[in-house]
Amino acid sequence: MTGAGPGCLPLGNESDISSMAGHLLKVATKHLPSRYVASRIFIPSVAYHKERIGNREVVGFGLNGEPSYIDRTDFPMPAIRFKENSQEIITLREKEKDDWRKLTMDEKKALYRASFCQTFAEMKAPTGEWKSVLAGTLVAMSLTIWIYVWMKKFVYQPMPESFSPERKAAQFQRMIDLRINPIEGLTSNYDYENNRWKD
Amino acid sequence: MFRNAMLSGFSSVRNVKNLFFPSLANIKQGRVSAVCIRSMSKHSSETEEEFDARYEAYFNRSDIDGWDVRKAMNDLQGMDLVPEPKIISAALKACRRVNDYALAVRFLEAVKDKCGNRVKEIYPYIIQEVRPILDELGVNTPEEMGYDKPELYLESVYDIH
Repeated sequence: MTGAGPGCLPLGNESDISSMAGHLLKVATKHLPSRYVASRIFIPSVAYHKERIGNREVVGFGLNGEPSYIDRTDFPMPAIRFKENSQEIITLREKEKDDWRKLTMDEKKALYRASFCQTFAEMKAPTGEWKSVLAGTLVAMSLTIWIYVWMKKFVYQPMPESFSPERKAAQFQRMIDLRINPIEGLTSNYDYENNRWKD
Repeated sequence: MFRNAMLSGFSSVRNVKNLFFPSLANIKQGRVSAVCIRSMSKHSSETEEEFDARYEAYFNRSDIDGWDVRKAMNDLQGMDLVPEPKIISAALKACRRVNDYALAVRFLEAVKDKCGNRVKEIYPYIIQEVRPILDELGVNTPEEMGYDKPELYLESVYDIH
């Protein structure tokens, strides 16, 4: 262990900060099991991550310098291998050092899946989520329309009598008699000599 | 103060002066940055051939390790280009040197992804150019491995309740 990561010293709610820091550095370098690492104690970030990844090999810098795995098409090589180093994988790695033409297809696939979780095709595969989104939208729209029907039946007052068909016809006749919009609008289409609408 | 002098990378005499008079250091030498020359615009003066040669030489280092291979591949993935077949060949040979088969296949998948919506024109050309190296090393393309279609299903974490 090369020592503490930057900015990971404990906050000073203990009386003797320097001895606390020294104790913690010793604790971290001994690789204690996780039950000793209470969430209140801050340990150097390298040890924290190494505990969480278990037996996985760290192979690169990764997206942000932390040894984590993520599948991204714009960052194809993550910092750690996907699977922990089990016995079968270790034997496969020995075989990998030899000629690759001797590997069977199953072994090649096993090697790929040991290092990576999803292939690019699986990462980019369509999820079909649009169907549930569209369905939810349409359900919401129809619910709205049902609510409006209920409102019309139980909440709104009846329309005034002037909206009945007979009264509307009478109002329309009044508009014709008043010569509304005679030049380009309504009654320009009415033939007053013969009392009917123009063809 | 010490770091200021270290970054300067100048001779030891000026270093000593900088240690004692750090405020003078920046004013007199008037430097912007230490080692690399940075211009204000993002256009570099490197030609495409120089770029290709640089990356090919990088991958062709005989003592390269997996860390550096991955760094270069991730950097290439971030750039607005599809790597030339000679860079790809050098990268595949670098994978062979670090004994990582999965890395080679992943890189081929990554290159195919970089082709964007002109995959049908660019990717077959790349595979054709790289075919000798693929045969020599025994690397299968993702299509040959059956990885051009999804094989396994992974439940999205957002669907796990």
